Amino acid sequence: MAEVMGSILVVVGAFFHFSAGLGMLRMPDAYTRMQAGTKASTLGNALVLLGLACYHPSWSLKLLILIYFVFMTNPVSSHALTRAAYAIGIPMTKKADIDALRDARRDMGDR
Amino acid sequence: MQRTFIAVALVPFALVFASLAVTYSEQQALRSLAESYVRLVPQELGAPNVITGILLTYRAFDTLGEVAVLFMVAAGVGLILNSSAPESRSLDGQPESQGKASEIVQSATQILFPLISIFAAYIIMNGHISAGGGFQGGAVIASGVLLLLLANRDQHLSRQFLSVTEAAAGVLFVLVGVAGLIFAGGFLDNRVLPLGEFGGFFSAGAIPLLSVLLGIKVGCELSVILDRFRT
Repeated sequence: MAEVMGSILVVVGAFFHFSAGLGMLRMPDAYTRMQAGTKASTLGNALVLLGLACYHPSWSLKLLILIYFVFMTNPVSSHALTRAAYAIGIPMTKKADIDALRDARRDMGDR
Repeated sequence: MQRTFIAVALVPFALVFASLAVTYSEQQALRSLAESYVRLVPQELGAPNVITGILLTYRAFDTLGEVAVLFMVAAGVGLILNSSAPESRSLDGQPESQGKASEIVQSATQILFPLISIFAAYIIMNGHISAGGGFQGGAVIASGVLLLLLANRDQHLSRQFLSVTEAAAGVLFVLVGVAGLIFAGGFLDNRVLPLGEFGGFFSAGAIPLLSVLLGIKVGCELSVILDRFRT
């Protein structure tokens, strides 16, 4: 039973990893690619590791620490990368008509 | 025309990989050299991790050379990047600040830096028992330092401290090696210290000590390289 659960979790995690890869290929600019890759691979990683924990209950603590670590590091590093891309002026896709960071900075400047 | 070239380049590649794939057969037994290592490392050196045993005893001289190469890299990067970068200053003569790192990165650093340091220490100290070792742990230390530098651009790294620590670690590494020459079988022999209980935390003779020294040295070297690239 635990093995079936584990297998399902691993397969769902693999699906999220696949969608991360697909997003990296199909999204139009650096920012949307980054967000597709980050969100899907964070969740995918967590699911795969949870699946492994079902297979090997004795590894659970280490795997939980790993999940915590991935949850901490993956969003932060992607955030830093994306912010760096914004700082050096990599253009957004033509279809984007909202730049929340620019608007926020302008509002701060107005005050 | 270009496509023809690409095709001509790809066909030999394909042949190489095809021959690998066709003739590949999984080895059923260890080759004689590997077999003797697998037998000798736990027996002679008392280290459950055969790879660390090889790297830090049988081929420790080679490891010393690798660290020296890394030192050359640090020195070379310093030579190239040291003085050439002009200090960018804004109009009023103040050093130009390129903006602070965002709050997310700064707060995450406060949580992650201790975690990364602990992880590095774990990797370094478990090199002789399970996967890990000085080189890997040193690289993890440097990644923590990189996070620190990213989060706080004005963070001051004392290069003098780093170079003194690095040099001290290197000298101690060589001294342990010379001790092996005098008290045990040869240069960097790990049996200068008692082997201890097999698989224990303090076991495998000088391997944990060498691992720590290697980790400190690699961590300092990589940190210096990262700091050089910042200017």
